[in-house]
Amino acid sequence: MKRIYLLFCITLLMASCKKDNYDGPTAGLSGRFIDAQTGELVQQDIIRGTQIELLEHGYDPVEPQYLIVKTDGTYENSLLFSNTYTVQPKRGNFVEVAPQEVSINGKTTLDFTVTPYIRIKNGSITRSGDKVTATFSLEQTVINNVRKIGLYAHADSRVGEPMRMVAAEQQINAVPDPAHIYTLEIDLPSQSSLLKPGNDYYFRVGALIDIGEAKLNYIAPVKITI
Amino acid sequence: MIRSAIKILLLATLIFSAGCSKVLDIEPTDRLTANVIFGNPEGVKVYMANLYYQLPIEDFTFFRQGFRWNSSPGTGDVNNGGFAPAMATDEAVHSEFGDFLGNDDFQWWDNGFKLIRDVNMLIDVIPTLDVSETDRAALVGESAFIKGYAYFALAKRYGGVPLMKQSQQYDGTVESIKVPRSTEQETWDYVMELLDQAGNNLTESSTDTRRANKWIALALKSRAALHAASLAKFGNRAPLSGDAVTAKLVGLDASLANGYYNQCIAAAEAIIQSGRYGLFRANPADRDDAAENYQQLFQNPNEASPEVMLIKGYAIPGNGNGQNYDIWYQPAQLANGWPHPGRMNPSLDLVDTYESYDNPGSSAPVATTTDGNVNDYNGYNVSKDYIRYNTPHDIFLNKDARLWGTAVLPQTMWKNTEIIIQAGFVKPDGSAVIRTNDQVTISGTTYYTYGAATPGQYSGFDTYGGNNTRTGFSFKKFLDENKPVAPGWNQGTTDFIELRYAEVLLNYAEAVVESGSGDASLAAQALNDIRKRAGHITDIALTPENVQRERRVELAFENKRFWDLIRRREFHTEFNNRYMHAILPLRDLRALPEEKYIFVRVNVPNTNTRTFEPRAYYRYIPGIGSNDLVQNPQY
Repeated sequence: MKRIYLLFCITLLMASCKKDNYDGPTAGLSGRFIDAQTGELVQQDIIRGTQIELLEHGYDPVEPQYLIVKTDGTYENSLLFSNTYTVQPKRGNFVEVAPQEVSINGKTTLDFTVTPYIRIKNGSITRSGDKVTATFSLEQTVINNVRKIGLYAHADSRVGEPMRMVAAEQQINAVPDPAHIYTLEIDLPSQSSLLKPGNDYYFRVGALIDIGEAKLNYIAPVKITI
Repeated sequence: MIRSAIKILLLATLIFSAGCSKVLDIEPTDRLTANVIFGNPEGVKVYMANLYYQLPIEDFTFFRQGFRWNSSPGTGDVNNGGFAPAMATDEAVHSEFGDFLGNDDFQWWDNGFKLIRDVNMLIDVIPTLDVSETDRAALVGESAFIKGYAYFALAKRYGGVPLMKQSQQYDGTVESIKVPRSTEQETWDYVMELLDQAGNNLTESSTDTRRANKWIALALKSRAALHAASLAKFGNRAPLSGDAVTAKLVGLDASLANGYYNQCIAAAEAIIQSGRYGLFRANPADRDDAAENYQQLFQNPNEASPEVMLIKGYAIPGNGNGQNYDIWYQPAQLANGWPHPGRMNPSLDLVDTYESYDNPGSSAPVATTTDGNVNDYNGYNVSKDYIRYNTPHDIFLNKDARLWGTAVLPQTMWKNTEIIIQAGFVKPDGSAVIRTNDQVTISGTTYYTYGAATPGQYSGFDTYGGNNTRTGFSFKKFLDENKPVAPGWNQGTTDFIELRYAEVLLNYAEAVVESGSGDASLAAQALNDIRKRAGHITDIALTPENVQRERRVELAFENKRFWDLIRRREFHTEFNNRYMHAILPLRDLRALPEEKYIFVRVNVPNTNTRTFEPRAYYRYIPGIGSNDLVQNPQY
């Protein structure tokens, strides 16, 4: 009797499983942000950075999905449903890109060719003695002011303005001379509780254009042992 | 036999219930119907009491989960850890939690529209009531006050919201009662209109602090207008984009700022010129007196006229009635058997903000080393030259009296008990023991890390139970010093001042200094009158910085700071990877046989940085899948 009851229960459970089993998302979208002029990847922030808005067709109202972008300027979402989407990068660190309709089927690739607001040229981050020093110059592609520049440090390689333990920032609020060489410094002893001697940290230079919701432009991070 | 009996019974039931043809039309007998309530003035009074009860007053029972978080019907577990709104700002940290602002925090959507529906029902019947014209005007004014209050609470959270100007009639189709969002400007203008209507209809002469009068309506208007004006003036500090922005459902144009500032000025000026209100004990004898007065103001608001305008009362203990500040925030030594004291830890950041009497007109970060460096948070370093003090609170001796009335400082008296807050000691050889349970015996005397031998004898830095402060400060404001903690839920009965004259003065000063309109000398006097009450004797100039500092210290922990950071769009710059700060009082045993203490400024132990996301300037709108509203940016 007991066994029959158990069997009955299992049958019931199995039966209900089958009905709920819709296919999971199998399609995906990946790609890169490429500087239209230099052909290099456009460096990004991992948090509070550029987002890619996806509007799936066939639903109204539709809740937008947002993809974040990796710090090196690539992105991927491997769990999307096959469908047609309206895709547009939003709140980025480059001149606005128009929305486009993309049919996402299987593993779809979509690169964005963009014009970054600011190109950080001849960037170098080095340590000498108690100081980590960054030097660079700025080349901007729009007429707005540069709001600020910064040297950011974090234990994680995805360092940036929103993700930093220590920052040395300078407010600019002007259109910089492309020939000018900027210098930013982090004094290590005065940050000894955060940047602990003997450990590795990542340093990265960023610059922010004075446009609402714009994100910083960066050079690639540099690993330095303190 | 039994079976057939059941069958008969069933059959009978069927027949009889078929006979009750209008079973659904029976008037319920266990509740009052609209006719009964609105049919006589007493019923209306009861109904009005319920509307007041629903007001979104951000008092002792307001937490991130919602209002009336004291086991009131419809709320969740009262045991929310005591995470006060102040802990989502730079005023304080929690002794245990590392939380910051979350998406679901401080929502007030469903209950907001419920209150608006309830007040609309009253507004519908006011013209039909059998009352005198005076009483009718009072009802019109009071319902406008409540509705304006509700729309203010909605607007500051969501921006533009659906404006339910009249009651809705449900005709069976959901689509017909869906109301789209109005623009943010229309919403703020509606708040102004409602509060004007309240001010024009309410009595001038009432001194009841539990119900609205004309001045209370104007005081609320000064607060709301200042909020709107600040959004317009500072909105461009944190621009947002998206559908809601394009449709102006969020955001106010900068050109609107002065109009709202002028409304704030007019409302505040009317209250000031009425002469009906003033500061409580405006001329203290000395600093100690000033600290005492400030504490008294909040400990018993009912004895604090003429400053108190509107009170939210907590007359009786019990679920849904009492509040829990005394149990959550008492120093650990005075927990009186309650297991979770000491949750509110005022930050060093706030303490630094208070002026020093030596240097009026600027914040006075406490210097711990002879080089005066107040930006070093790297911890104890034997090679640094720390200033030695005779007690663990002498370092704060010259600080604004309100600090002493707001926080329990290390080794000061509270309820006739010395509250021990110590983070460690420096051994005679210069090595330090900090926040590690330890002891050292020198010349027959034993010295303990936390200033005493066991938990319960001290109130600082030991992580034991999350009961001890980790900033160096315990909490005092609003707490009842006169009686021991009643160690149970919802036993606190201290009343909350929702509107007080000092805020009106500060609203006025801010509106004047930010807009350039109004009477600058009156505004400067307003600012300095408040400082005088705090024991200051030197007047300071009317500048935006001075007004903001004064606001932070005078209104600390009154749940204003959160909205000040929101409306002035300072949250995302103030909180960008920010550590909150603490001060470690250390017994310096190098000075033996003298008793000396040094202090170390540090990041609050065991915390991470805090960052405010700009989209959080607006809360998300719940339920857009069914209410068809446009969502706020980036949600």
